Amino acid sequence: MSIDARNHDDAETFDGSGDGTGDEENKSRIARWADDWIQNPEKAYAVMLVFLGGVLLTTSLFPLYWLFNVSMAPPGQTDIPLLPTTIDLSVFIQVFQQVPFARFMFNSLFYAFTVTVFVLLVGSLAGYAFGRLEFRGKTPLLFSLLVLSFFPPATLFIPLFRAFNQQVPMLGLFTLPVEIYGTPGAVVTPLSAFTMPLAIFILTTFYGQIPDGLEDAARVEGTTRLGALFRVIMPLSAPGVATAGILTFITVYTEFFFSFLMTGNSAAEWAPVVDGVIAFQTQYTVRYDLQAAASLIAIVPVAILVVVAQDKIISGLTQGALKE
Amino acid sequence: MSRVQLTDVTKRYDDVTAVDNMNLDLKDGEFICLVGPSGCGKSTTLETIAGLTKPTSGEILIGDREVTNLPPKDRGIAMVFQNIALFPHMDVYDNISFGLRLRDFPQDEMDERVDEAARVVRMQGMLDRMPSEMSGGQRQRVAIARAIVRDPDVFLMDEPLANLDAKLRVNMRTELQRLHKQLDTTIIYVTHNQAEAMTMSDRIAVLDKGQLQQIAPPLTCYNEPANRFVAGFIGSPSMNFADATVGDGTLDANGYSISFDTTAIDGVGTGDAVEFGIRPEDIYLKSNSAEAEDPSRTFSVTTDVLEPMGDEIFVYLKPILGASGEAADFEERQGLLMSVDPSSDISEEEDVEIVIDRARLHLFDDASGDAISHGIVADSEIGTADDGVQAD
Repeated sequence: MSIDARNHDDAETFDGSGDGTGDEENKSRIARWADDWIQNPEKAYAVMLVFLGGVLLTTSLFPLYWLFNVSMAPPGQTDIPLLPTTIDLSVFIQVFQQVPFARFMFNSLFYAFTVTVFVLLVGSLAGYAFGRLEFRGKTPLLFSLLVLSFFPPATLFIPLFRAFNQQVPMLGLFTLPVEIYGTPGAVVTPLSAFTMPLAIFILTTFYGQIPDGLEDAARVEGTTRLGALFRVIMPLSAPGVATAGILTFITVYTEFFFSFLMTGNSAAEWAPVVDGVIAFQTQYTVRYDLQAAASLIAIVPVAILVVVAQDKIISGLTQGALKE
Repeated sequence: MSRVQLTDVTKRYDDVTAVDNMNLDLKDGEFICLVGPSGCGKSTTLETIAGLTKPTSGEILIGDREVTNLPPKDRGIAMVFQNIALFPHMDVYDNISFGLRLRDFPQDEMDERVDEAARVVRMQGMLDRMPSEMSGGQRQRVAIARAIVRDPDVFLMDEPLANLDAKLRVNMRTELQRLHKQLDTTIIYVTHNQAEAMTMSDRIAVLDKGQLQQIAPPLTCYNEPANRFVAGFIGSPSMNFADATVGDGTLDANGYSISFDTTAIDGVGTGDAVEFGIRPEDIYLKSNSAEAEDPSRTFSVTTDVLEPMGDEIFVYLKPILGASGEAADFEERQGLLMSVDPSSDISEEEDVEIVIDRARLHLFDDASGDAISHGIVADSEIGTADDGVQAD
């Protein structure tokens, strides 16, 4: 016996001709609708897609709209209407006038840039070794890297803080020669370490895919192994390098915990952009409008980066996944 | 242009010895082919010469310089790879000039050299193409241009034609020979294709299991193989082999015998187990026995399968049955393979009479496989009766 509703005996009752009561007519319209969808599933998919896309867009874009709304509200107003009553873009300039917000942004961008360069350099060397060389203990080493990346960075904060700030002897062997708390070093070093494993994994996959012949050819032609890495292997792995670089950049730029705690509060003390936003909060007043405007401005660099590089990121991530 | 010397070069991996005590002495300007079956160590040997792999022990000289521990870039070599290995992100000009740029050549000299190299491989006017826009043959030509542009002392080629189609391969083979004549540079060429080895090289080095079996001019390898391996490897289709025993003035192989003068050959005595080999073209139909230098007695055999090749016909002969009714122990009991003139009147499942050219029969030591003798002579005292032909 068929379970297809259209072939079922009862199906006739839904085949409304429009001469029944209103209730019946309503019912049959839904039935016809459902019938249509069953026969043309792509219609259902299209509707679902639009619906899902709408939900996703709303959930991701509404907070940004809300931030904009908040920034448009006059200082001190806590009751934010759904539509801004006035559009006054001068807050976006005020942000830079009241606090050295440009410097805060520079600090964060500096961290992101430095860590990215460092991670790509060191990660490339590691990726080369893991992806292209055979050596004893390779798998355990790669595995331990993976395990290390599972540690919540916060657990390492206290020991790092003491090492950077109070100069306790590390492993009982040495102390850092200078106090690096409050300097870029206190942010760049731990964040480099935390972002390194992912970058190494991405680069290992990509570098491992470059045929041996190309590296051999480069070496015979006159490069060293290192030269072959930078002249041949890295350019050919451009999507992978871009992916690793951008993921690192975004991670560090948006990082809060270490960059906030390892530095002072003022821009001159290498405080990150988060401190810039907080700077609009004094003991007695909170300028929510300026904070919202500052937050929006802080998003811009990452947004630009993602828009420019999204093709590369997607191709990088999928390529790495598919070709292995 | 340089001579290349390998002295006791050994490359050992964890549990495999890829190259075992290799000694090679290549003359200046020589075209050497390293041949052997897969995994015989020919590519590893080439890589140790290139410096891509470090030998476990031994010494490598290029010219008068010891290069054993030098990186590839300092050895004055150029290499052409099986998978061509052009840099896909660079156009033809950048590919060819890659080595020159690394050595900081001035722009005008670089242009000149690249043009010259492109002319030699007939790739002028294609310098701005990307590798992905070219055919396999063009890519290989660019790879060769990249190798010659630096004017290296030694060319290393690792099966450069293996990835090309058959027609192109023959063309490129001729071009490589022309190139060698033109450049007069030492070329070490790895291949498993013996047609390439036979046609191109001045000398062939046959390798098996990491060991050098023989290094000699192609025809010497063909006519006077140093051992059973070389005999079987060089020549297509390959030589027929059978176990035999040296009798009293005869070579006995399971029920049939060929008379020969055992005293004329050192190192064999009555009762010795040997292996004999005979190439397909050295077996003749009785009607053509005049072509044989030193025909043996006739044997009656039955043909099995015919393979007409156009210029010759390969005839598989059914195993010769011994007195006991068992097949003579030819390799894998496939029977004997002979090649005959295409005009021969021969068909499958036909009884024919054949003779073997005694002068072309190879004897190998049964245990070591080393060649004992190339050609045997008939014994003048015994056996004309059972030999069927007059002895000389």
